[in-house]
Amino acid sequence: MSILRRASQIARGAKSDAPADPLLAALQAALDPDRVKIDDAHRSLLGKDASVFEGGNAGPICYPSTTAEVAEIVTIAAQFDRAVVPRGAGTGLAGGAIPLGAPVVVAVTKMNRILEIDEANGVAWVEPGVVNLDLTRHLTPLGYHFAPDPSSQQVCTIGGNVANNSGGPHCLAYGVTNAHILAIEVVTPAGDIVMLGGIDPEPSGYDLRGVFVGSEGTLGIATKVAVKLTKNRPAVRTLLLSFSSVRDAANTVSGVIAAGIVPAAMEVMDQAITQAVENYVGAGYPRDAAAVLLAEVDGPADGIDIDANRIREIGLANHATEVRLATDDAERTLLWKGRKTAFGAVAQIAPNYYLHDTVVPRSQLADVLDKIYAIADAHDLLIMNVFHAGDGNLHPLIVFDGREDGVLDRVHAAGAEIIEASLAAGGVLSGEHGIGVEKQGYMELLFSEIDLDHQNRLRRAFDPVCRANPGKVLPSGHSCADIQQLRSVPAGLWG
Amino acid sequence: MDLRLDADDLNSCVQCGLCLPHCPTFRVTGDEAMSPRGRIHLMREVQDNNAPLTPEILDSFETCVQCRGCEPACPSSVPYGHLMEQTRESLADVGEMTPLWQRAMLAPLSTPVALKAGSSLLGVANKLNLVPKRLGLPAEVPVRQQPLDSTGTDVYFFTGCVMDAWQRDVHRAGMRVLQAAGIGATPTNELAPCCGALQAHAGLTNQTRDLAEQMMLNLRGDRPILVDSAGCGAAMKDYGHLLGTPTAEAFSARVFDIQEFLADHVRSLPTVEPLDLRVAVQDPCHLRHVQRVHLATRTVLRPFVRELVELEDDGLCCGAGGAYSVLQPELAGQIRDRKVDVINGVRPDIVASANPGCSMHLGNAGVETLHPMQLIDRALTS
Repeated sequence: MSILRRASQIARGAKSDAPADPLLAALQAALDPDRVKIDDAHRSLLGKDASVFEGGNAGPICYPSTTAEVAEIVTIAAQFDRAVVPRGAGTGLAGGAIPLGAPVVVAVTKMNRILEIDEANGVAWVEPGVVNLDLTRHLTPLGYHFAPDPSSQQVCTIGGNVANNSGGPHCLAYGVTNAHILAIEVVTPAGDIVMLGGIDPEPSGYDLRGVFVGSEGTLGIATKVAVKLTKNRPAVRTLLLSFSSVRDAANTVSGVIAAGIVPAAMEVMDQAITQAVENYVGAGYPRDAAAVLLAEVDGPADGIDIDANRIREIGLANHATEVRLATDDAERTLLWKGRKTAFGAVAQIAPNYYLHDTVVPRSQLADVLDKIYAIADAHDLLIMNVFHAGDGNLHPLIVFDGREDGVLDRVHAAGAEIIEASLAAGGVLSGEHGIGVEKQGYMELLFSEIDLDHQNRLRRAFDPVCRANPGKVLPSGHSCADIQQLRSVPAGLWG
Repeated sequence: MDLRLDADDLNSCVQCGLCLPHCPTFRVTGDEAMSPRGRIHLMREVQDNNAPLTPEILDSFETCVQCRGCEPACPSSVPYGHLMEQTRESLADVGEMTPLWQRAMLAPLSTPVALKAGSSLLGVANKLNLVPKRLGLPAEVPVRQQPLDSTGTDVYFFTGCVMDAWQRDVHRAGMRVLQAAGIGATPTNELAPCCGALQAHAGLTNQTRDLAEQMMLNLRGDRPILVDSAGCGAAMKDYGHLLGTPTAEAFSARVFDIQEFLADHVRSLPTVEPLDLRVAVQDPCHLRHVQRVHLATRTVLRPFVRELVELEDDGLCCGAGGAYSVLQPELAGQIRDRKVDVINGVRPDIVASANPGCSMHLGNAGVETLHPMQLIDRALTS
């Protein structure tokens, strides 16, 4: 805070967060007043993430810097019978970090230290607020990187990756976050500090680490994470294939996998999103192609040239109109920058987007995509497709202008049909963005009553009194909190 | 209240958050209210939802360095800088920002006589250790300086306000380098006393408009106008947007950063023995993120030094931000600490910085900086 601000505050009167509330006073005593926020501006900001969900309602917002502080916050919240919701960078696309029912929000952005690089064990210990790309940049000079590379990797945190079991283009060959987390220090909903998993190759006991990864903050808050170091790739080839139909691109993807090649990544973008991306990066993406496929192979130089050539041939057999090989790292970096900023580029077309994340069997890709475009037409909506083609993870983006009357109803109706079409093709609800608050209504389409009941029992084993990120993941009726009830917090509870 | 923000500009943000790591205040605080996404959200709250102007909201707007590092990071090209300038102008208009004493501090910038008198006084006071260190003045504020003489009429050389008062040696070096390339320059001196950038940052945009009109009138013709301060160059290149007239557009098109201009004439410079220095290039934000001509610095500097090294921080701001380091010393210091760590990490002999604010701010943390023109001038004359 500036000297001027202080002076002007004296003139304007006291700050709007004078702690009359005992919960607030306890939190401010545990941290310090500067790291607990309760003003309307912060509550409004932390009530949102990168999803379209608007119903967030944050209580006090805490910025802890140590595990002990997180434990203290959780304990205090428990004493006051308040829920806790962890938050990283707020780039979630399913509303996982959106606070419901004015909980205590635990923002881990200040817990951003890389604690230890243990090359002998191939492990790095990091705090949850470390940014994914910062970790990789830190490791690169040592010859390693953190393999999961979600599109938001320049901003998203390791804690968020753990919570959502995030993927990314290169998870096709390297596996999603779960395959790269060895141990997690967790503050349980009761305020205990426990270590799940371990850096031994074969930890004994139940794999609670595996349970925690992807639990979206419903089982506790990660405060320290042991991530696996992945060796940097000796050589890389990146191909850009252009097609005159999305179907040809999808068939190429199936063809590559069927040929026994395991590329490091295979990503498809349709024409609308490619044009938006090209406007931003100027990487030389073809604006006139109906779809582009970005395929990457890595490994020893000799082998990957053979694979790159085979991918090229499979593309041409599927009517590729152009096949380009990135000539250097700069071109490769620019192509990936385009792919990874695709969601953010849609404001060039419309100010809002609603993003789905279903996964379908690769053999069904082309058919499901046809259905998705037909659903968009039927609802008079624009849908753009950008997706992790290699593992069948679709990301249909419905773009719209929220100021248009009734448009949200159409968006949600189209979204429901996309999900139904994906599930009917043998797919699942979410590849990597999580269920959060946005997709939980669809869980019953995917899971039986008994499935959901067992999932809820597992959750209750960690959180018997429903205090960790309530109203998320499991649909009401199968979870500890009724989402409608959480949304209708009595007015005036916080300001 | 109506912040008079263009609704389409405001709606061009989808809140994806890709700007967050490129924002210096978010980087050091981890606080959403101190991020571009957060600030845009709060602009919407104020303009669209009539949220009251609480201290926290004003703090969010006032703590923005206006480095515009978020703009190149934005895939939807949200015009963040213009949104923030308009927000500040609307708030300053109703007295919610930039109190009178700050306005009084900015007033002499556009009046050369007052500025020179004030600067000399400050120079004397500084020598007597009467100026608080946290104000971040350079160690030596010159009390008296030799005037700049014209070397020709090929180009105008913009001299400006504070930089001319405190760093005229940089101008002198730049003019000598131009001369060595066969380019004669006329210093603008009283013809263009100030570009108005600091006033625009403070929301006093009408003053900037007046200064722009005055400069355009005095520097008519088609001579290129070279600027050796990244912040001033960025402001003058924005006159077209600021005034919205074809004349202003045409004027802005004549404005070049000196490195940008020299990059096309680097072959005209004599070949000399390079300085035996490992030089780290610190890109001023308004050169890299706003003018986007920072690569020219490498082009012009490379033949004249032994080694150029990059700072691997994506051009994150150093915290200087015009008057920011004086108005927000705590944040500016934390932001600078990050930059100093990155600089120390590459172990340079010296840092090249093409903006007076950055060099003063870094200098106060013990980082030795020179303007790229000073380095080239030194190589040419040694």
